[in-house]
Amino acid sequence: MTAAYEQASLFLEGASRNRREIVTPEGVPLPVEIATFGERATAFALDWFIQILATVLVYLFIIFAFFGSLGALGKNGGAVIVAILLLLAFLIRNVYFIHFELAWQGATPGKRAVGLRVIDRRGGPLLPTAVIARNLTREVEIFMPLGVLMSPASGSAVWENLSLAAWLLAFAFLPLFNRDRLRGGDLIAGTMVVVLPRRVLLGDLVERSARYHFTDRQLDAYGAFELQVLEELLRRPHAPDAERLRREVCDKISRKIGWRYPVPDADALSFLVDFYTAERAYLEREQLFGKPRTDKHHQRNPAAGEQSAKEK
Amino acid sequence: MTPLTLDQPGPASREPVLKSSEFRKGREAGWRDLEDLVGRVEKRGVSALRPEELQRLPLLYRAALSSLSVARSIALDRNLLLYLENLSLRAFLVVYGPRTSLLDGCVLFFRRDLPRAVRAARWQLLLAVTTLAAGAVAGFMLTLADQAWFAAIIPAGYGEGRGPSSTRAELMDHEIFAPWPGAAASFGLFASYLFSHNTAIGVLTFGLGLAAGVPTLLLLVYQGLILGAFVALHYRRDLALDFLGWIAIHGVTELTAIALCGAGGFVIAGTILFPGRHSRLDSLALRGRMAAEIAVGAAAMFFVAAILEGGFRQLVQSTALRFAIGGLTAIAWSVYFVTTAKEAPR
Repeated sequence: MTAAYEQASLFLEGASRNRREIVTPEGVPLPVEIATFGERATAFALDWFIQILATVLVYLFIIFAFFGSLGALGKNGGAVIVAILLLLAFLIRNVYFIHFELAWQGATPGKRAVGLRVIDRRGGPLLPTAVIARNLTREVEIFMPLGVLMSPASGSAVWENLSLAAWLLAFAFLPLFNRDRLRGGDLIAGTMVVVLPRRVLLGDLVERSARYHFTDRQLDAYGAFELQVLEELLRRPHAPDAERLRREVCDKISRKIGWRYPVPDADALSFLVDFYTAERAYLEREQLFGKPRTDKHHQRNPAAGEQSAKEK
Repeated sequence: MTPLTLDQPGPASREPVLKSSEFRKGREAGWRDLEDLVGRVEKRGVSALRPEELQRLPLLYRAALSSLSVARSIALDRNLLLYLENLSLRAFLVVYGPRTSLLDGCVLFFRRDLPRAVRAARWQLLLAVTTLAAGAVAGFMLTLADQAWFAAIIPAGYGEGRGPSSTRAELMDHEIFAPWPGAAASFGLFASYLFSHNTAIGVLTFGLGLAAGVPTLLLLVYQGLILGAFVALHYRRDLALDFLGWIAIHGVTELTAIALCGAGGFVIAGTILFPGRHSRLDSLALRGRMAAEIAVGAAAMFFVAAILEGGFRQLVQSTALRFAIGGLTAIAWSVYFVTTAKEAPR
């Protein structure tokens, strides 16, 4: 629908992210940007670190609180303590993920730091069941095999450890092997993880009292793509070489549209702003009349196409 | 909000009148308001909003969505379009975000979601129970014919000294009617059980449904074989009834949980083997949640089984009473799964 501004995004921001479209229950399609593997790994590492910290703190608290009474447990004391610690670690890690993803609309502290969100793949509401499912699957994917691998007492065969390691690696790198970067838990819960940057609404560039005026034929030289690249240039008035760029663009436009009067250096900015305003007004009007121009190569009709080809 | 005027006369290129600019002027205050509300919810949760703000939120959200739709067709301001898309998405996630807390979610899960999921998967559950039973019968027959099978079926260490060489008295004193070892040891038993072989098998049975259900099937047969082999071992020593009572007290719950894990695995396998009208991914997303609900329920049942095994098994020393407890748990689980949350639509 709005190919022009996606084209402009691609041109201005380099390689575009992996994008998907979800449709809200109101029927409006919204583009979402899929989180990369690196971002997800970073978020997971942060979460894991916080979790381990919390677990250690709880352990320390228990040790200090019940230090005296450990002897009362008798000969099975060691097993009991190991069991309590394992149970606590299990509870903390699952409650941590599930609680935050429910309370923070699909974000954990790690995800929030990186700017990620869990959403429903089909654009529906994120259900508590989905959150629980995607987090408990992590137990099977990562923590259970890790626990077996780490336990020193297992004494298991080498091939057993190798197959567990293969299992771990396969699940850890599963996101790399599908387009939506889905983890095993995402597959089962029907969720995906997206990047949610916070965009700011900048001022409107439109200038009311125009000093320069342009004809429709002059404005016909460009399309929406060029307009939006120009918008980006005007939105950064203090960039290092903005002044030189403005001068160049100003000269280029003058040549292209056949502007006969020289534009002094001091007026380059206001010329560009006026041109932007006029161009946008023209293109938006044309678009409303059902004649959108995506870029300068757009051919309105064969005759106009020949004309513009000659001008070049 | 000012109405959008689409039919303004005059040469627009001489005196630029930008509809998109007018449009923006009329609605910008609403967007800023929404941005503020959404920002606060993202930071401190829904409780950060006052009631009247909460009431305003969905209205502002729908207004932003309609602004986006209009802007897509009339505006060429790239910053405006990107901003509106971003704002709509953030507001969408807040408006349609999860509304339940962890506690409410748990209550709802056990009172509604779990029994429904189990009922929906009754054929898979039947398949799992049949497989388990077939394994048990096979294990019983094999070990009855030749006790060497016992060692072949039961992994080393799992038998805890029980085997073809055990005598009747040993089994009586050290296993079935062993004295209660005291609270600490019981708890140790409970806990070691919780992270033991059986739970791991249960989780694997479920997770390996992703591999088209074959490992699920094999693991279920194997669990059945183990049970059958133990029964045969005791049957040969004339202890079958006592052993069944010893098993029943927690086994009813535990075996149901294993069967549920298997059913969950079969649900997943079914979505992969027979995706129907959907793609495999969509079909997995549609029914994977149901499978996960069943697996979570099974995990909770393992927990109950662990309490029964660690706490009650050696405390109750009569076979009849053990059967009674086992029977009661069987009735309780059936009533729970069959009758809970039957009427209300989902």
